[in-house]
This record gives sequence, structure tokens and C-alpha cells, in this order.
Amino acid sequence: MAKNATDDDRGLRKSRFAPYGLLSPGVIWLLLFFLVPVVMLFKASLSTKPSRFAEPQFDWDWSNFSSAFSQYGSVFVRSFVFAGVATILAILIGYPLAYWIATQGGRFKNLLIGLVVVPFFTSYLIRTIAWTSLLQDENFIVSFLRIFMGQDFRILATPAAVIGGLTYNFMSFMILPIYVSLEKIDFRLTEAAGDLYGSPWTAFRKVVFPLSLPGVFAGSLLVFIPAAGDYLNNRYLGSPQTSMIGTVVQNKFLVQFDYPQAAALSIVLMVIITVLVLVYSRFMGTEGLAV
Amino acid sequence: MANRVTRRQFMTRTGLALGGIALGPQLLAACSSDSKDSASGGDSGKGSNDIWFDNWTLYIDKPNDELYGKGGTLDEFQKASGLKIKYTEGYNDNNEYFAKIQPLLSKGDPIGPNIIAPTFWMAGRLIGLGWLEKLPLSKIPNAKNLVTSLQKPPSDPTGEYSLPWQSGVAGIAYNQKVTGRELKSMDDLWDPAFKGKIGVLTEMRDTIGLIAMSLGTDLDKPTYQNFQPAFAKLEEEVQNGQIRQFTGNDYVKDLSQGNFAACIGWSGDIVQIQKDNPDIRFAVPESGGTLWYDTMVIPKGAQDLDAVAKWMDYVYDPVNAARITAAVQYIPTVAGVQDELRKMGGDAAALADSQLLFPDATTLANLQSWGNLSESEEQKFDEEFARISGS
Amino acid sequence: MTMSGGVAPPTFAEVEAGPLKGSTKPERVGSGWGRRILTVFAVLVYLYLFAPLINIIVYTFNKPVGRYNLTWQAFTLSNWADPFKDKELTDAFLRSLQVAAISVTIAVIMGSMIAIALARYRFTGNKMTEIFLVLPLTTPEIVLGASLYQLFLGRNVTLGFSTVVIAHIMFCVSFVALTVKARVRGFDWTLEDAAMDLGASPIRTFWKITFPLIVPGILAAALLSFALSLDDYIITDFTKGEFATFPIQVNNQFRVSFPPQVNVLATIVLVVSVLLLVLTSVRGDRSSVTTR
Repeated sequence: MAKNATDDDRGLRKSRFAPYGLLSPGVIWLLLFFLVPVVMLFKASLSTKPSRFAEPQFDWDWSNFSSAFSQYGSVFVRSFVFAGVATILAILIGYPLAYWIATQGGRFKNLLIGLVVVPFFTSYLIRTIAWTSLLQDENFIVSFLRIFMGQDFRILATPAAVIGGLTYNFMSFMILPIYVSLEKIDFRLTEAAGDLYGSPWTAFRKVVFPLSLPGVFAGSLLVFIPAAGDYLNNRYLGSPQTSMIGTVVQNKFLVQFDYPQAAALSIVLMVIITVLVLVYSRFMGTEGLAV
Repeated sequence: MANRVTRRQFMTRTGLALGGIALGPQLLAACSSDSKDSASGGDSGKGSNDIWFDNWTLYIDKPNDELYGKGGTLDEFQKASGLKIKYTEGYNDNNEYFAKIQPLLSKGDPIGPNIIAPTFWMAGRLIGLGWLEKLPLSKIPNAKNLVTSLQKPPSDPTGEYSLPWQSGVAGIAYNQKVTGRELKSMDDLWDPAFKGKIGVLTEMRDTIGLIAMSLGTDLDKPTYQNFQPAFAKLEEEVQNGQIRQFTGNDYVKDLSQGNFAACIGWSGDIVQIQKDNPDIRFAVPESGGTLWYDTMVIPKGAQDLDAVAKWMDYVYDPVNAARITAAVQYIPTVAGVQDELRKMGGDAAALADSQLLFPDATTLANLQSWGNLSESEEQKFDEEFARISGS
Repeated sequence: MTMSGGVAPPTFAEVEAGPLKGSTKPERVGSGWGRRILTVFAVLVYLYLFAPLINIIVYTFNKPVGRYNLTWQAFTLSNWADPFKDKELTDAFLRSLQVAAISVTIAVIMGSMIAIALARYRFTGNKMTEIFLVLPLTTPEIVLGASLYQLFLGRNVTLGFSTVVIAHIMFCVSFVALTVKARVRGFDWTLEDAAMDLGASPIRTFWKITFPLIVPGILAAALLSFALSLDDYIITDFTKGEFATFPIQVNNQFRVSFPPQVNVLATIVLVVSVLLLVLTSVRGDRSSVTTR
């Protein structure tokens, strides 16, 4: 993306009040309903409850954090592994599709990319339930696969099913940003590269792919982050052994009423994700979600 | 995302979209004022109704699929008493409902409904927390019809806070076609032939209760210590993949689909599902099944207790109780229902002979109910169960 | 006037060479063979994306035995004859629409204002605001939901319709702001100067010049936010109290039943959205030649 000085600054106003006036409603909303709650969550994670149904008392109790790691370490690992695999699968499946639309879509590009978004207009939950119907033990898909995998084979209630669900449900979030960044590329560059390198694959590898990295980066974040904290896919497609951190947090909040522990788990999840994202962005060498 | 469009098309599209966005909420707001009074999703009060009963789904008769249909219990009650009752099916899960009412009741604020339907152990918890009103028993003469086995239960030792609504048994439900044989004991569930095809309930007391009984532990004085072997057994079968999932009532679909060969299930569900799928069977395990019941209780701060009393009196009349039983097919908690069902004839009379609704003495002897758990004990049970079930 | 996202105007030489970036037809990208494989793959991916939707639509015609519409039994049109049969479900569906309409409207207004401020003005805190905006999008839904749950409980706010709307507005504002900002970035602000030189007041300039040109970005953000709001489960789960939106109601009911009406209602939403999509993209494509 060419950073053109004249364009960015052209017409940019310096006004005393206008920008702050425009910003304030939205920013205040986010301060009130995003920042403050998260801070309060952190406060709750440092509290203890005298008894199960009483109010938590804030007392700098860090034990919730240590038990978060000792008791639920394996669940965290599993959640990140599932989310990571889902992200990789989403890239492997989504990138070629985005590429195809960008390069061969022609007149129908808008329609084609819109079709990618259409599944979103049915509810996430209903899509997941539809998968349970498609993948049930006695249905044609599983029966077909049983020919190769043996009669005991099943898809539902396995890690594969949960990962598959995660990949599917966030696929559109991967395809859209990649498409947007591919669409900006001037493909005369690839022609030129193709002439220079003599092979379209190398042209892709050395020219197109690097230019599309911002999209891949944005897409990865938009898949990995929600996937890591998800619990619906596990609830419908998983088994007790595929439990994810989202499942635990939901249960701790709404069934066990153990707010301090649940809050600690949420904070740990957030911190680890932030760290992973920072590491990933270093690795990619790009900045932010600039799309 | 088209970015080259004529100006006119812009304006038209903009106008339409903004118009839609502006009008939409109005239209829907108009709809909302209707929906507010009806389903449990509305957060308004009971309005002009005298009674608001928030119950589980499919727990009352629905003539022609309508709750207040002619000839139905709700309709007949309103005609007979002149009182207005609002009936909602917002009680989906004990813990979920508790989470809803806890913020209000713990601060002494009333909730919307004046009758709710917690399962016996949740009723016990609410009584322990002091969040229930005493029933106006002097105004419920028919309360004497309560079956003796459920009078002054462990969860409500004085019997002043709850009246059972329906009762049922947890046991083994299985798909005969898939298992190829009859199942009789809990060990059948752990048969390696059924590996990965067994389900258990998210209802801790039914799952752990059945397992504990199969290991020889009784349910009347439960302690966390005593139940360690049961938890260990459950964990073992989860770890080795024998148990596929923990379910709520949706095990019925897994049984029909063949996902489960067998599971822990509830008698009333099986009676209903057998009509559609005769391969599904129910058996009380040889080591014993659990007897549970849901209750009617009055949350603290509720109004119109006289009206509530009239309702409870009405449904404890065996004639009316029989009508409800004929529809929901759980074990009635009102004495005399069996005879009333016979009088009704037809399908209802057939129910009168069903072992699942009217277990004979030998079956009854094989059923146990849970004793009460203190708050701290219950917490330990719940946490351990959550840990094993992967939540 | 360029609309292609922050690019310098073409030099004479470039104009000679060919049309602007992004509009070049990538003629020979890869060999013919490679292109065909890619096309096959693309079709398979579309099938994969639509598989559950096809399942959903097919099952609207199923006549289930029992209470779960998950195994095919027999064909019937009766579900379509009575799509609003399940009152709880229909009410929840309407409530989902309400929540989405209100949340999106407010979020779009606030978010667009932020976008304009960020893209058009230079001021201290510009960078920080951008980073702050991104934070809710990088926080897992469960953390957002749980923290709001804590907030509302602590303040004795009854969970219900308003708390759900508040939550939905929260997660839509960032999304709208960033999406609209991306669209607004390429905007040529000298147009505004020109208009005002010609005597238009700032307000008139805004409504007649600026606003119509950024509207497609706003609309796109609004549509996607609407979808996000309708779809949301996790955050709604924590902020709903007794209130039920459509997916919440489906999940609640799933313990005991899964009626065909769920699929019918979902299909209705699907069909409407596809129609909208086809309409807008067809009109857009047809007029892609003109630039005014």
C-alpha cells in the first residue's frame, strides 16, 4: 500500500473541537461498556467468595490465577491448539477461494464475495446444529467414510468435529480480508514477475503472496481469537474430552457461580491471546489490522 | 462492494436503507408491545394476571397444541376460578434459572412469576437460602392428596415450602435395535461393545446417583467422601471413551439417531418417544434407579398468594391431575390419579397400567431419592462433576 | 477523482499503459491447467460453505417423527404453511430483529462519526484511538460477555433487552468505525473545499457531497453488523437474563425439541439476505462503468 504523503494529509483539518466531538459518543460507549467491565473483571479475579452464593470480596487474592494454570492448563493448551489448527485450515481452504474470486471472478466478483458472507445470515447456532444433522452416525457422509475407516468410525463428538466446526464458522472472516488485500494488487506485476521468473508459481510466491499478507494476518486474527474462546462448537460437536476454555468459563460463571475463578480464567485467556498476537505480528512483519 | 455507481442510485439506495433502518425499529417496536406480555422473554411483570407460573417445557396438557386450548387445564382453571393465569415455559435448567433469579432474590427483590418449578434439590437450596415464601397450606385443602412417599421430603422437611408437580425415574434408556439385547444393569452400560455410544445426563444427581447405587452406596445420606468411588468410576468411563457425551433431555434424539446405543434417561421422555420409535426401551437398573420430582414453590416477595393457593388446590384434585398426567406422562404426585385415568378411558386408561407411571411395589423398592446436601457439600459435588464432564 | 483507496493519481505514462490498479484483468495468472484446478477447488469450497445451509433448507421440508428435526423422514410442505407455529420461537425471532435494528442504527451513527473524525482530522490521540478501537475486536467474546455480566450484576442492573442492546452496540461500534474508516480513507477532501468555495455551507457540503460518497461504506458496515448482531450467541448469553433472542431460544429449546420452524425462520432470513445481495451487486455491476 503506497503511503502517499499528499493524499493522507490532503484536506486533513486541524480543528479544535470537531474531532473530539465526533469521537466522543462512540469512545465513551466503549470506555463504559468495554474498558470498565474488563477492569472490573480483573478486580473480580482477585477476589474471594466467602460462600457459594455470597458477594465476592476484593482482597488481592492471586490464587485464582495460579489455579487457572495448574487446574486448567491442559484445557488452555487444547483450546489454542484447536484454534490454531482451525486458523491454518481456514487459510488453506480460504486463500485459494479468495484468490480465485480476485483473479477469475470478473464481473461477478461482488456477487461471489457476497456469497461467501451469505452463510452468516443464518444463525451461527443453527449452522452448527445443521452440521450435527449432516454428520450424524447414520447419515450418508459417515456411512460413506465408514467404508474406509471401519464401522466404529464417527465424526461427531471428536476433536476433528470441533475443529471442523470452528474452521467452518469463522471461514468467512478469513476469506474477506484476504480477498480485499488481493483485490488491491495490480496483476500486471504478476505478469511482469512471471516474465522475469519464468514460472507462475514463483511469481505468486514472490510477488502476490507477500502483498496479500496483511489480509492473511487480519484473517488469522479474526479466526483465531474467537475460536480460542468459543464453546458452542464444543457443546454440539464435541465430547467431554474436547472441552475448551470457553466451556469452562461459561460453566464457572453461570452454573458454579465461581465468579473469581471464571474471571481469572477470562483474563488469562485474554493475556495469552494478546501475547500470541504480538508474536504473530512480529513474525509477519506487518502492522495492525490495516486493511 | 460496488464503488462506481451513479449518483442517483446512491441517493435511492441510501434513502431506502435509511428509511428501512428508521422505520424498522418502529415496526418491530409495535410488535414488541404484543410480545412483551406473552413469552418468558419479556421482562415485564405478570400484568393483570393473578398468577404467573413459570414451568418447564412440555409439562402441562396442550389441547391442539395450544397452551390455553379449550378443555385444557389452564383454560378450565380460569373458567372455574375466575382467576387469570399466565403460564410460561421459561424454566429450562435449574442452574440457569437460579442464575437468573439470584441477583434479585439475594437483594430481597421479587422476581416476576409467583410460582416457579425447581427440581427438588434446587427447591432445597432455595429453602436453605430463605428465598421462598411458605405455602398458604390452610387454603390448599387438596394438599392432603399428596402421595405419602413424597410427604415431608429431605429437601423440605416441614413440607411448608413446596408441593411436588410431577415426578419421574432416572434409569437406563436404550435402543434395542442397536444394542441387540435387553439391558438390565449399570454394568451393561460399561459393556465394551458399546464403547463411544453411551450417554449420561448433565443432571449430576441422576448420573452419579445411579453409578453410586451400582457400587452399593445409598443416596439418603450423601457425603462427598462416600461418593468418591462413584466419581472415580464416572471419570474412568469418560477417559476411556466409553461415555460419548453428557446431555440434557436431548438424549432422545441421540437414541433415535443411533448416536447412543444406551444412556441414562428419564421415564417420562421414554414413554413419549416410544410412541414414535418402539425400539426405545427403558429399564430401572437392578442396583436401583433414582426417583426425582419437580416442585411448585413461591418465590419470596410474590403477591396474590390466595390466587396461587387456588391453583395449587385445583391441580391437586385427582380429576385435574389425571388430565395433566395423561398429557405429560410422568409419575403423578397426587393420589387417586390412577383411578381417574381408568375412568377417562382410551389411551389414558392404558397409561393407568403403565409400570413407568405407576411403578409397582417391587419397582418402588428399587428406587431411591437423594438426601439433602449442605451448600458446601453441594459445591464440591458440582465442581467435581463439572470437572469430569469437561465443563 | 479516485475511489480506489489512497492511490496517487496516475501519471500520463501510466494512463497510457492501461487502466487503474485493481481494474486490470489478470490475464494469464498461472497456466490454464492451474486455473482449472483452482476453479474446481473454488466450487468445492462453495459447496462446503453452503452444505449446512442446504441441509437447513432441505429440512424445512421434513416431517419429523418426534421432537427433533434432525433425521430425514418424509417430505411435507406443512412447515411452510405454518412458519410461525411456535410462538416462543417466533417471538424470539422478532426480538432478534429488534435488537439488531436498534443496535445497528446506533452503532452505525456512532461508528461513522468516529471514522470521519479519524480519517479527516489530525489531532492528538488519533493513533491511540485507533488502537483502542481495535481492542474489542481482539478480545474473545467470552471475555466481553463475562465482563459485561459482572458490570451489570455489580450495578444491580436487571439483565434483559436493554443490556443485550448495550452489548451489541459495543461490539458493533468498533467494527463499523474501522470498516467505514477504510472506505473513507480514499476520499478526496478537496471536493469539500471546492463546494464551500462555491458558497455551500459546511452542513450542506456534508449532506450533498461527503455523505453520499461514504454511504456505500456505511451501508456495507451496517449490513455486516446486522448479521453479526442477529448471529451473536456468546455475548448475548451472558447479558440476557431472562430475555431470549432467536439463537438463545433455539438453544434453550434444544433440550427438548428442535422444531422445523427453526429452519423455516432461518431460511426466511437467508432468502431475504441473498435477494438483497443479488439486487445490490447486480445494480452495482451494471453501473460499474460510470464514475459520477
